[in-house]
Amino acid sequence: MPSIFYFLREALKGFHRHLSTAVGSVITIFLSLLIIGAFAIGGFIVNNIVSSIESEVNITAYVSDDASDDNVKAFQAWVTEIDGVSKVTYTSKEEALEKFRNSMASSPEIIDQLDGQNPLPASFDIELEDPQQVQDIADQIQANEYFLSVCDNQDDPSDSLKYGQKTVERLFALTNTIRIIGVAVIALLIFIAFIFINNTIRLAILSRRREIAIMRLVGASNNFIRGPFLMEGALHAIIGSAFAILVLELLHRFALPYVSGALMWLPINLDFTVYLVVYALLIVFGLVIGLIGATLAMRRYLKI
Amino acid sequence: MAARRVASDPSRTSQLSASLPMLDINSMPEQSLGVPVITFDHVSKVYPAQPDRPALKDVSLQIFAGEFVFLVGHSGSGKSTFVRLLIRELMPSSGRITIANEDLGKMKSWRVPYLRRNIGCVFQDFKLLPDKTVFENVAFALEVIGKSRHVIKTQVPEVLRLVGLQDKLNKRPDQLSGGEQQRVSIARAIVNRPPLLVCDEPTGNLDPQTSRGIMDLLERINRTGTTVLVATHDREMVDNMRRRVIALDRGQLTRDQDRGVYGFDA
Repeated sequence: MPSIFYFLREALKGFHRHLSTAVGSVITIFLSLLIIGAFAIGGFIVNNIVSSIESEVNITAYVSDDASDDNVKAFQAWVTEIDGVSKVTYTSKEEALEKFRNSMASSPEIIDQLDGQNPLPASFDIELEDPQQVQDIADQIQANEYFLSVCDNQDDPSDSLKYGQKTVERLFALTNTIRIIGVAVIALLIFIAFIFINNTIRLAILSRRREIAIMRLVGASNNFIRGPFLMEGALHAIIGSAFAILVLELLHRFALPYVSGALMWLPINLDFTVYLVVYALLIVFGLVIGLIGATLAMRRYLKI
Repeated sequence: MAARRVASDPSRTSQLSASLPMLDINSMPEQSLGVPVITFDHVSKVYPAQPDRPALKDVSLQIFAGEFVFLVGHSGSGKSTFVRLLIRELMPSSGRITIANEDLGKMKSWRVPYLRRNIGCVFQDFKLLPDKTVFENVAFALEVIGKSRHVIKTQVPEVLRLVGLQDKLNKRPDQLSGGEQQRVSIARAIVNRPPLLVCDEPTGNLDPQTSRGIMDLLERINRTGTTVLVATHDREMVDNMRRRVIALDRGQLTRDQDRGVYGFDA
């Protein structure tokens, strides 16, 4: 156990001696962990949003301005009869505009810019009994001839139906792109972190080579010789992850409330335990990077 | 006796070194011939850079516990290779080296440090740490093998008194003369009370008078029962001391003689 303190002391000395490279490796670890943490938390938020959207049981069907009243009525009658549909509400163009006006009460100039025109389509709000049936009933509606005759977008009838599943799919398409970019950035940062760690550990080994030679001579065990360098890698990792956690927590405390204020309808707030788990994982992941980096450097530069 | 001297497992090492006789310069020389401490069995060493010119060629010898042995030869005769093979810094190209019944060739690499704890090493260039004091330099050897602070506090001053540096504990190596620096390095080599002390050109950098002082010290250490092997090309010293001499010439063992002389032409 006393050797832990010896390792720590030597690691701190090494950190002090090669401050610039040490800071470099801390910063790269910090950045990679920050991005990894942001992605992890972002992922949890997206999951949260997805599950809340999926639990919505409503389907909205938009109706074309050109649709004949008969067809619209026939469609309404048919939809109401479907098993599992609990309620169907019709929203006319005027009502839609009124709703929009109300939701935009804070910025009425948007309505003024419409020049008295009404771009909003009429729609049916179809409430279901069971969220499990959403896809099934959406498929039925899409195949219905009345719907095809009244739907807003005649070229792509499916576009005139809005329901949770489709929003989720779009969200996934977006998050997948972000995820691929993120993984690439993280991989690059980890690679750079390894290079920095490699350099700092190499310098630490070089500056201690006399001591290492004597340690070998008097029979210090291999682990004892390696200890300070592993400790140095771990030290970089811990400092880097501490900064990453600090920044994430600041974002969580101060930036996220703004976002959730602006996006009121999205459930952005997560349970704090989720954050704690992510932070713990960041420390673990940082340690893995630091220790592997130090081990790789020792393999190349420390001949025992 | 010899079998006890190299620990067969790490946990027993400290216990074993503790059971070794204290370094008391007045104690009687210990005669424990019988089982050899060091055995070289047809050992050859060829460096990859010089495949045609082996550094050691078919060397066989035995060194017994408590002996004082000179290893002599010109530069390049294989003395340093011999020493580096002993502490298993190198592996022989062929042949077998055993130390206290332990085959170095079969030794697992994680056990090498425990072998080295039982072999004190002294080199021509002292290998002291310039930014540590005399005390810290010697203490370092105990620190890195995990000795307690208490052991360090008692053993380091004791061994420094033995080498005559009790007044220079807080000096740095660059404040000491060459002979004093070599005494520090000897103190460091024996502070853990190893049963075997190996010196590679210990007086190579020192004037004759200082060298004699170092040799007296080595002799005193030998009298406490420590086996001492000195690689040297210091003719005068070998001739004066009349101890066992092993001569190497271009890697070959040319002479092994009790109470010998240096014997090479200048």
